[in-house]
This record gives sequence, C-alpha cells and structure tokens, in this order.
Amino acid sequence: MPQQVIKLVRPTKIELIKLRRRLALASRIQKIVKDRVLILILEFLQIARQTVEIKRQLLAEFAGTYKALSLAAGYHGYIALEKELVASERELGIAAGSRNVAGVRIPAFELKEAQGVVRGYSLVDTSSWLDQAAQLSEKCLETIVELAELQRSLELLGREISRTKRILNALEYLIIPSLQATIKYLYMKFEERDREEKSRLKRVKVLLERR
Amino acid sequence: MVSELPYERLLQECLKDELRVVNAHLPSKQKPLSVLLAEEYPHVLCRDGSMHLFKRKELKYLAGLIDNDEQQALLLPMLLEVNGGRGEVAVICQGEVEGKVMAKVLDMPVTPRQKRIVLYKPQLALVRKLLRTTTQYLFSPKS
Repeated sequence: MPQQVIKLVRPTKIELIKLRRRLALASRIQKIVKDRVLILILEFLQIARQTVEIKRQLLAEFAGTYKALSLAAGYHGYIALEKELVASERELGIAAGSRNVAGVRIPAFELKEAQGVVRGYSLVDTSSWLDQAAQLSEKCLETIVELAELQRSLELLGREISRTKRILNALEYLIIPSLQATIKYLYMKFEERDREEKSRLKRVKVLLERR
Repeated sequence: MVSELPYERLLQECLKDELRVVNAHLPSKQKPLSVLLAEEYPHVLCRDGSMHLFKRKELKYLAGLIDNDEQQALLLPMLLEVNGGRGEVAVICQGEVEGKVMAKVLDMPVTPRQKRIVLYKPQLALVRKLLRTTTQYLFSPKS
C-alpha cells in the first residue's frame, strides 16, 4: 500500500517546519501513550491474578462457613438457630469511593468496621459453633466486597486498554508514517526545485554565451 | 499520492485529550500519613476534581513500617514517575522516609538517586500489590 501523504496547500519551508514540529509532538505523545498502555496492561494482569486468588479464597471461605453453619444447625436445631439469627440482622456499611490508575477511574470499596463485636444473638443460649459461623460469614463479606472491586476494575481497565491501544496503533501506523512520508515528499519537492533551478541557470548561461 | 487523511482532526483531538487525561488524576495536594489516619474517610482531592480514596488497611500497614515522626513526613499518595518511552518507573522521594518505606516493602536496601528510586517491573508489581491506593502514577513528558 502506498504511504499516504497529507494534502498540503503549498510545498513550502514553513509547511515543512510545521510538519516537523507535528511529528516531534506525535512521537512524544506516542511514547507517553505506549507507557500508559504498558502500565495499564501491568495493572490489568496484576488485578486478574488477584481476582483469581480472591475467588479461590472466597470459595474456601464459603465452604468453611457452610460447614460451621451446618455444625451450629446440628447443635441447636434449625428452628432455634433461625430464631437467634433473626435478631442478628444488621445494616452493612460500605465506604465507596474511587481511585485512579493511569487515568482510569476505578471504584474502591471498603467494608466499614462494625462498632463493637455485638452480633445481636444471645450469647447465653448459643454455642461457640454459631460464633465461629458468624465470624466466618463476616470474613466472607469482606472478601465479596474486595472481589466486587477487583472485577469492576478488571472490566474498566480492559475497556481502557483496548481504547488506548487503538490510539497507539493510529499513531504508530497512520499518523507518524504519514507525517514522515509528507516530510520526505517535501524534501523531494525541494530537491526537484533545486535541480530545476540549476538546469535553468545552465540554460541561461548557454544562451548568454551564444550571444 | 496526495490526499487528506480521514479523521485526522478527530485523531488530533483524541491525542490532545490523551495528554490531558494522563496526568489529570494527580493529587492537587498530598497529605501526611498521620493526617490521613485521623480522617474518617481518608482521601485527597485530585486535579480533575475527583476524590482519591485510600484504604485504611494500607494506611495502617504503612504506619506499621515507620514511627510517629516519620508518619508526619510521609506524604501520600506516593508518586511513581513513568519516564517517556523507556518504560522505567521511579518513586519520587521528597525526604528519606520514602526510601525507608520502599526498602521495607521490597525487603532490600534502596538508594535514592536525584530524589528518585528506580523500580524494576517485578518490584513495581510488588509495590502496587501492597500499596494499591497509596501510590499513583505520574507520566513524565521528558524524553
């Protein structure tokens, strides 16, 4: 495919200077965008690894919690356990904000620490099995919140990577080559003009000599 | 062949946005660790008007690495400077405390040169893993 050349009004030196400035700017932007893509990919991979880790951890925690809850249910009986757990319902506080990774705003969630350790159920009527189940459930909640943050981050970073890569490709394969081709074209034009000038001078010289 | 590039103006606009966006998230003012620890929702305001939230867990981790006096000297978020084209990342040190924190996080001695600690990619991954909200990238236009 022949290299495209930007349409110019006139092949002049001013135009050449402008183009060279544009090329320098485009190269600088390309470097920054390249760095940005590298950083975004690094972050994306790290978050992907963490997501897998957290998912595994969550599954293990779910299994542990289910086991502890089954033991508590076996010890107290379902009806008694349900009665105790109705009173233990409480509101969940999450501090939600955002953080910025290389220009991508991604969410940041943090589970608010509960004030005190009162879980709502009677400590006299229940056993330590229930305490253990409650403790494990709280840990599960923390992990769920963390996983939510990671998954959303992964989604947003992925989208940004593809967008930035498109810009980088446009710079690398379209803008910079076309600017270079245009600069080359201008140099060729100037050389051609020089050659024309030289041959014209020679011709004039010959004509003058003939007189 | 002489022709006008399709969408050239659009691309130019995109590029302008790119430069504007790339460092817009930097904090307008860094806060000391001791101040952030006392806040209910530890945060800093960014140059684009957004809010950068710190995780309390990370702040507590940092507080565990240094003593009380150093907590006042450590300004957060720490800036990780990405140098144009070379893919090199360096932590900007305003004092000695950043060096101490990095040495403890990386578990190796570090020497700041020209107020910078150069990080290699595996080290960067470790720093970002442990200090996800307390560090931020800064894209340097220097080439």
